[in-house]
Parts: sequence; C-alpha cells; structure tokens
Amino acid sequence: MFGLNKIIPVEPNINFLGLRRNFLIFSILAILISISLLSIKGLNLGIDFKGGTLIEVSTKNTSIGELREILSFSYSDVSLQEFGNKNIILIRLQNKSNQESIQTVNSVKNLIQDKVVEFRRSEFVGPTISSELLFRGFQAVSFALIAILIYIWLRFEWQFGFGAVVALTHDVLFTLGLLSILNVEFSLATIAAILTIAGYSINDTVVIFDRVRENLRKYKKLELVDLFNLSVNNTLSRTIMTSLTTLLALFSLFIFGGEVIRPFALTMIIGVIIGTYSSVFIAVPTLLIFKFRPQDEDD
Amino acid sequence: MKNYPIWKSFTVISLVLLGIIFAIPSIIYDENSENWFLKNKINLGLDLQGGSYLLLEVQLDVLYKEELDNFVDSVRLISRDQAVKIEKIDIQENEVVVFFANKEKIKDIRDSFFQMYRGVSLQISNNRLSIKLNDEYRKIIQDSAIKQSLEIVRKRIDESGTKEPLIQRSGKKRILLQLPGVKDPERIKDLLGKTAKLTFHIVDNDNTSALQNNLAPFGKIIVPDMYDENTKYLLDKRAVVGGENLVDAKGSFDQTEGHAVSFRFDTEGAQKFGKVTTNNIGKNLAVVLDGVVITAPRISSAITGGSGIITGNFNAQEASDLAVLLRAGALPAPLEIVEERSVGAGLGADSIAAGQIAAIIGMVLVCVFMILIYGTFGALANVSLIVNLFIIISLLGTIGATLTLPGIAGIVLTIGMAVDANVLIFERIKEESLKQTKVFQIVKNGFDRAMSTILDANITTLIAAVLLFAFGSGPIRGFSITLSLGVIASMFTALMLTNFLVYMYLSFANKKELKL
Repeated sequence: MFGLNKIIPVEPNINFLGLRRNFLIFSILAILISISLLSIKGLNLGIDFKGGTLIEVSTKNTSIGELREILSFSYSDVSLQEFGNKNIILIRLQNKSNQESIQTVNSVKNLIQDKVVEFRRSEFVGPTISSELLFRGFQAVSFALIAILIYIWLRFEWQFGFGAVVALTHDVLFTLGLLSILNVEFSLATIAAILTIAGYSINDTVVIFDRVRENLRKYKKLELVDLFNLSVNNTLSRTIMTSLTTLLALFSLFIFGGEVIRPFALTMIIGVIIGTYSSVFIAVPTLLIFKFRPQDEDD
Repeated sequence: MKNYPIWKSFTVISLVLLGIIFAIPSIIYDENSENWFLKNKINLGLDLQGGSYLLLEVQLDVLYKEELDNFVDSVRLISRDQAVKIEKIDIQENEVVVFFANKEKIKDIRDSFFQMYRGVSLQISNNRLSIKLNDEYRKIIQDSAIKQSLEIVRKRIDESGTKEPLIQRSGKKRILLQLPGVKDPERIKDLLGKTAKLTFHIVDNDNTSALQNNLAPFGKIIVPDMYDENTKYLLDKRAVVGGENLVDAKGSFDQTEGHAVSFRFDTEGAQKFGKVTTNNIGKNLAVVLDGVVITAPRISSAITGGSGIITGNFNAQEASDLAVLLRAGALPAPLEIVEERSVGAGLGADSIAAGQIAAIIGMVLVCVFMILIYGTFGALANVSLIVNLFIIISLLGTIGATLTLPGIAGIVLTIGMAVDANVLIFERIKEESLKQTKVFQIVKNGFDRAMSTILDANITTLIAAVLLFAFGSGPIRGFSITLSLGVIASMFTALMLTNFLVYMYLSFANKKELKL
C-alpha cells in the first residue's frame, strides 16, 4: 500500500490557537472592510434582484461595437458585454414597466435579427419579482443560519452553537465582501452558493467540534487551549483533504462548466476557502470564551 | 471478523446494482422511448433542453375598477327609477361615494342596490352613500378571475400547438407557464398579451357633438379605431352580443377583403345578432376588440344565419391568431408578464456538454488525488464515489426530478464533497492503527468512530439544502435536489459500500497489518 498521506503526520502538533489573536484581528478587519464595502459599493446585483432584461446572442463576423452602435441608437441604457468568447454577446437593458420591457425584448430582437446567428436566451425580471426574489433569498439564508444553530444546539452544548454561528456569519459576510470587491454578479445561483457554503463551513466546524467534545471527555485534565489545539490537529488532515477534493471539483466546474455557472463556482471556491479557515481559526477560538469544565470555574 | 455478514453483503451488492441499473435510462437518454424501463429518465429543465418560462400576473385592479364602474351604473339606474338626482360621484381606489341631491330616498336606493350586489359594504351618512369593495368581495373576484384565466390560458396554449406545457397557479394572482422546446416565445407572449374581449356595438352617428367634445353621454362610450387613434366612434355602451356567444372562429381569405376571421354564433348569439341587424339596417355595427374598433361596417341587410366575417388589415398570421383568441375566449382581466426566462436549444446543449466535461474532469482529479493520498484505500473510495454518481442519477430518474444547470453544479460539487465521509473514516482508521494491531478491529473502530461525525456533518448540509428547496425557485431547486441526493447517497456509499469493499480487500489480500 502506498499513499502520500504519510506526509501529514498522524498527530501533527501545530499551535493553531497560539496564533488566534493575529487571525482574530485579521478576520475582524476583513469583516469591517466587507461591511463597509457592502454598504458603500454594494453587490453587483444581477437581473434576478435588480430586475431588467438580458439577451444573450451568438454572432458571426459581427463585432460587439457594431451591435452597440445599432442598439444605442434606440436605447440609451443598453449595455453590451462579451460572454466567454467574442462571438457571444450579452445585452442588458434596465428595468422599465413590465409591458415596456416585453416590448423592448421584441424590438431589440428585430433590430439585430440579421446580425445574429442565434438568440441563446432572453430573460426578463419585473420589478415586483426582483424584490420578492431578494426578500426570499434573504429569508432562506437567515432561516438556514437559525436552523443550523438549533441543530448544533440540540446535538452539542449551546456554546458550540454560538461558536458555529459566529463562524458562519463570518463566512457569509467575508464572502459577500469579496464578491463585492471582485464585482462578481450576485444572482439566485449566488444565494444557492452562499447557502451551500454555510452548509459546507458548518460541516467542517462540526467535525472539529465533534473531536473537541470527544477530547473533553477523554482528557479531563488537559488545559482547554491545549485540548482545542489537539482537536484541531487530530482533524487537520481530514480538513485539508476534504477542502482539497471539494476545491478540485469546484475548479473543474469553474474552468469547464461554462460561462453561466462560473460566478456560482467562483463564489463557492471563495466560500470553501473562507469556511475552512474559519472552522479552525474562528469557530474553535470562540469556544475559549466559555468555560467548559467545573474545575475551570474554580480557578 | 473475517466473515462479513451475508445479509449485509447482499444488501450492499443489490443496492449498488439497483443504483447502476436505474441509472441506465438516464445515461442512454432516449427522448422518445415509451419503454416502461427506459422512460424512467431524468427530466431536463428548461435551461438545459431549451424552452420558455413565463410568469403572468392577473391585473386584478382592472377588475376591481370594472366592478366599481358597474356599481356606478347600477346606482344611476336605481336613482333614476326613484327620481332622485345625483349631485356627484366620487370613485376612489376601492370605494364609490355617491352624493345625492336629497336624502329622503337614500335608504330605498341602498336596499335596491343591496339586492343586486350582496356582500358589498354600504354606508349612509347624510346625503352620501358609500359603496365599498370589501376584502371578501375582492377575494371572490380574484378567485374566479384566476380560475377563468387559467382555463383560457390553457386553451390558448393548446391551440398554439405547444407540446407538454405546464400551466399552474402560483400564489394569489399569478400563473406560471413552462413551455419546453418553445423557440419563439414572442408569439406565445402575443397570444397571452391580449384580453381578446370581443363585443359588437351599434354606432351612434347622430350625436356628433359628443364626439367633438370627447364626452360620452350616459349609456354611450367613445372608442378609438384600431389603426388610427384619432378616428373615434360613439357607441352604445351596451354590447349587442359578445365573444362569449361565439362557437367557432377561423382565419379565412376573401378575394375582395383579404385576410379575415370568419365566426359563427351559438343559437342565443345568432338570435340576438339577427334581431339587432334586422332593427338597425342602415346603421353601423362596430366590432370592438379590447377597447378598440377593428371595423364598423354598415348593416346593409339583416344577418340571421348566425355567422359572419370580421375584416381588418390583417395578414394571415394575425387573422389566424385572432381566430385562436376568439375560440379560446376572453380573459377576465389583462395578464401582465412579470418574469420571463427563455433559453434556446443551443445554449441548453452547450450547458449540458460543459457540465459533463466539468463532472468528468472533476471526477478524474478527485480520483487521482485520492489514490495519491490513500493508495489502495483511495481506490476503494473511488469505487464508492463512482457508484455514488450512479445512485444520484438513478434517484433523479426514478423520482422524476428535473435536472437543471445549477443541478449539474450540485452534482459536480457532490463529487468533491462525497469523499469527505470516506476521508473521515480513513483518518479514523489511521489513528486507530497507531493504537492496536488487529487489522479488523482497527477497521471496525475506524468506521464506528467516524459514524456520528459523518451524520452530524451531513445533516447540517442537508438542512441548508432543504431550506434552499423551500425558498428557492425553478433552477435553484434543481441544485438543492442534486445536493441533497448527493449527500444522502454519499452517506450510504461511505458507510456501507466502502465498508464492504475494505473488508473484502482485507480478507482477500489477507492483510496482517494495516498502515494507512
């Protein structure tokens, strides 16, 4: 039997918790920057949440400039963008009333009919729908956080639940902040990515917490910091392995999965990295706030 | 522990076989197969097979407004009978307030009105009668409007020749349409965008001052021409006969008139039409569609046969579409498209191809990685991973779930995450191997210890997936389905299949020691 896993020692002894202050400061800064970015710059909302019209066309021998010229003559608010390769062009129009938007789609199609090989897709989301979708997305994320908190609370002590939710909130905000910087389009798929990240990150956290709980029973005399360190080290190779396999799959999706799914894959990649980081450096240190043992209360 | 329980081996092997067998229909994917077995294939979502998704909203406000107008007309009639003068009528958002010149007979008016419209709220204060559309009344209007709209939409879509449309109510006032394979949603949107309310009215040519002042007297309406907004007609408000009396309509061609729509009335319609045309020879009869006059020919002779043609400046498509609309009947209220997502077949096919490549490459990468890290055990985990994929596909096929583009993303993601359970187990085995030397005991402990962690970790992911399903729409639901199925399948493959494979491997290789 061979296997590179021997590179990672079975019982590594890295002092993760020793570095906790540095990482805590890093994370707090990251969150503060994220929040200010979100409130100042905001997210690059796609038509799911902003409403509007989007038409994807494939062309042959027609440059984006030509199409822009044709369309901007009739529409001042039109924006065009190459999508993946230069023969595929996305046309976006801002929201108007429902009736107007539907007519716009028709007349845009008529205007460029003879320049276009295929109309690949057209989407229109009216103003009422986009605000509903945004609300429902927000609802889904909040309920997921609450449901996960309740589950952790039932399965572990409530302190663990607190640690997990701190880490989760950290992941969501941090990821949103990066999406804002990178100007990644925020769509329904992004909401799905955020929720999956929440699921993934909590999964990671739960594995470590599980070990913390086990070690709490096993090593009654060990200092809490050391015990937490031990638990993180115990699970380290699993944490790394799973993150790597997940990232491998996600990179494959990012590179080969096509243009439409790319923002989703990118969001997931960011989230998996942040989620893994937070399980070790945020969720576990948060547990230090609490005193888990009776003897701790004595001193 | 050499003798692995037979019932367990049997269960594992049969589940794996079932998983593989039921994946076959989706892998072959014969679109038109009627075979009972091959029919159990994955449904492709509109974003993968191409098609149109439309969300329509019934414009209830129009109906409420119409009902308020009816109230006004009725009150006018009643007060005319009672010889009470009306000073002013105030129409608000959901209330009509009528000011009478005196208040003597106001109670009688109220009572007669109440006989006609039960369920409205009526209130008298001094010389004012206020008629309110209360919530219950609105709900009745709303429900019947949606029901009727659904029916009409269904008829129109059927008439348009769309195959396997999905038409359902969504929420309080919306209708959801999924039209697979529709290449040209514009025509469907045109068909749905018209209320198609057809009525015939006698034209009043005598009262020219009304048209000049653009003020219709009581009982009359001013309606513009379909082709020229500036041409207006003064018509009797009451329709002679309407589209509800039509039994058939067809696009037709006439040498002199060009494309036209020929229609036939039912008995009641034919009688009314015959009577009116007999009594009004020499006058004009306006054909009004959705608030505009298509044509207003002069009645030269009585038309008693119950059929006729409508001419206008139609082309062939317009004439046949109008015929479709007339056959299907009028919508109670206009429908507004509030959301549309149409995907061409080309993009759908591209998405499937890209998704397949991403899944295969992701799979290969993960498998290579697992073998690099865990050697033989990694290879065993890979077997589980591949079976896992088969199980997801077969579950999707048998429950008739819809695979969407985000759904494919969910599968690729699952490939990466599904090895997690195996990794947890192997890491535990690794730890256990330091504590003791009995090979089978190590493996048993490894699996046992990893169990609760695997459950906890996967249930949290499932929670997120279920909530996504509850709050998500269309394609996103596809993602939550594949993710959930993937998570469930990965628990089975890790805890049962990998377990089985590890025991078999250790028995056959006759391993005396275990160093992972």
